[in-house]
Amino acid sequence: MNILIIEDEQALQESIAQYLGKQGYICEVAVNFREGIQKINDAEYECIIADIGLPYGSGLDIVKELKQIRSDAGIIIISAKDSLEDKLNGLGLGADDYLTKPFHLSELSARVNALLRRKHFGGNTSIIFQDIQVIPASKSVLVHQKPVELTAKEYQLLVYFIANQNRVITKSALASHLWGDEYDMAGSYDFIYSHIKNLRRKLMDAGAPDYIKTVYGTGYRFE
Amino acid sequence: MARVTGSNNMKLLTKNTIWFLLIMLPLLAAGGIYLYHQFDKELKKEMDEELVNDQIQWLIYFNSIPDSSPVFRITTPEFSIHPAQGPADAQPFLKTIMQYQEVEHKEVPYRQLEQVIRIRERFYTLTIRKSLIEKDDLIKNIALVMALAFIGLLLFTILVNRLISRSIWRPFYQSLDKMEKLQLEQMHHLSFPDTSVTEFNRLNEVLLNATTRIYHDFVIMKELTEDAAHEMQTPLAIAQNRLELLLQDEALQPAQLRSIAQTHEALQRLSHLNHSLLFMAKIGNKQFVPAGNISIKAVLQKHLRLFEELIRDKDLLVSTDFSGDLSLLLHPILADTLISNLLGNAIKYNYPKGTITIQLTDQLFSICNTSEYPPIPATQLFQRFKKNASNLENSNGLGLAIVKKITDTNHLKIYYIHKEKEHHFIIRPDRHHH
Repeated sequence: MNILIIEDEQALQESIAQYLGKQGYICEVAVNFREGIQKINDAEYECIIADIGLPYGSGLDIVKELKQIRSDAGIIIISAKDSLEDKLNGLGLGADDYLTKPFHLSELSARVNALLRRKHFGGNTSIIFQDIQVIPASKSVLVHQKPVELTAKEYQLLVYFIANQNRVITKSALASHLWGDEYDMAGSYDFIYSHIKNLRRKLMDAGAPDYIKTVYGTGYRFE
Repeated sequence: MARVTGSNNMKLLTKNTIWFLLIMLPLLAAGGIYLYHQFDKELKKEMDEELVNDQIQWLIYFNSIPDSSPVFRITTPEFSIHPAQGPADAQPFLKTIMQYQEVEHKEVPYRQLEQVIRIRERFYTLTIRKSLIEKDDLIKNIALVMALAFIGLLLFTILVNRLISRSIWRPFYQSLDKMEKLQLEQMHHLSFPDTSVTEFNRLNEVLLNATTRIYHDFVIMKELTEDAAHEMQTPLAIAQNRLELLLQDEALQPAQLRSIAQTHEALQRLSHLNHSLLFMAKIGNKQFVPAGNISIKAVLQKHLRLFEELIRDKDLLVSTDFSGDLSLLLHPILADTLISNLLGNAIKYNYPKGTITIQLTDQLFSICNTSEYPPIPATQLFQRFKKNASNLENSNGLGLAIVKKITDTNHLKIYYIHKEKEHHFIIRPDRHHH
């Protein structure tokens, strides 16, 4: 799967490419608007990640260009501006998702994952991880072909873990994924712990090995 | 924006009228009194002349009677003549006396002329009187007519004065009204019509210059706010993402991992803080202009669903009494933040198995939660960074400050009550705003 990252901040661009690279994506980078426009015209990408504030142009214009050349690439806009107009603008122009800086790499990875699945299989495919099968269309989970009853949050957790398999995921990344911006109001991480405990128990009861590893003082790893 | 009306504070027209009255009333009163006295003096002089004329007529008459006539001795209320001791007076004595009058049944004033005269070797005291009662009535009538004329004149002048003032000051009041209704975002649309008064044109020009400058500063401030967000969030994003990558390094020891995770966490808090402060600045700059009324009931139900797990996790008992729906003119983001912060606090500062009571009517929204935390001192209630539960992680101490900012800028009032280990917040529209 090819991903183009259009971001002028070198360090940020590298981090994204490195993280997504490890998740099995082939990443190309562009450091400004012109280079971005050139690359989307030269090659086909499954997914474009574009910053709004770029030298020589706006990420929103990249979205326009992509629509003009009838590209069916998924588009994720990233912006430091947490402004509703920018967000609505981006989505209105045809972007698929919008992330505000700073974001967790695991969150970006999960969004790319969900976007590609939606784009390419119309969401009609299932996600397989070892003996676990997740069917996004019905939001159901099978372990060894037997259904496992998960709550909405447990389901979200599992999909997030699979999208970020073998990576250390911090508790704060999990919290903001599950509760979004409302999380800031919600208090401690205890309730994440209880959701993970329940998910782990349900998967193991269904006969799966313990995939969720606790990384001491940091977070979790799904492997 | 309530207009203060104190003792030193009155409307221009009122002040104008009062000054006018203060100057005109003594002037008119003094004029009236002077005229009254002049009339009185004139009439007395007239009366005295009449008396002297009468006396002359009498003298001519007495002197014309033949010598053989007896001694004169006549007494009537208005005329009397009696024999008297000489010598004769050179001048008649004129004075005002009180005398009983049969017709009126009371003492009435008379003007009296008295003189000792000589009629053929004999001396007499001649007294002629004229009643002053008609003259008094006349003066009273004149005074009344004069007073009425004066009062009428005064009222007319005040009225004309007010009408003129009102018309002259009209452009001033128009400018004042415009300034009063002025909102920051609409400042650049401000314009004043030309007036025929130089001073008002100058005033309007000064106002226009001042508002243009304020609007300019406001725009710069607004841009700075957003630029600051941009400039700060990008390095934060870089640092956070590098740390997240570093966490993936399998060669790291648990202690090192922990350090990285904590640094990552601290950066996350910093970015939340930055975000909240910028948000407050945006609210303060009135960048969230409401587009219409928001149903608080709908917002509440949305957030009760959002926080469902957190509520269940703490085993909280939430009781709701929606006997109406509060409809507020609020930007949707602010409505979300308001409810999210208050409900979030009610969950966060609650204890396991505690309760949250929410009441919603057409007039108010009230949320009450049990808590082991002490009451918040009124002075710190809505202050930034005043943590009332400093042991809680992920609290940046801005939640209530943001709530307060939202209520302050959207004509809402918030009340806080602490009673029997329960924290109680009430929000209702402020009915006294302009």
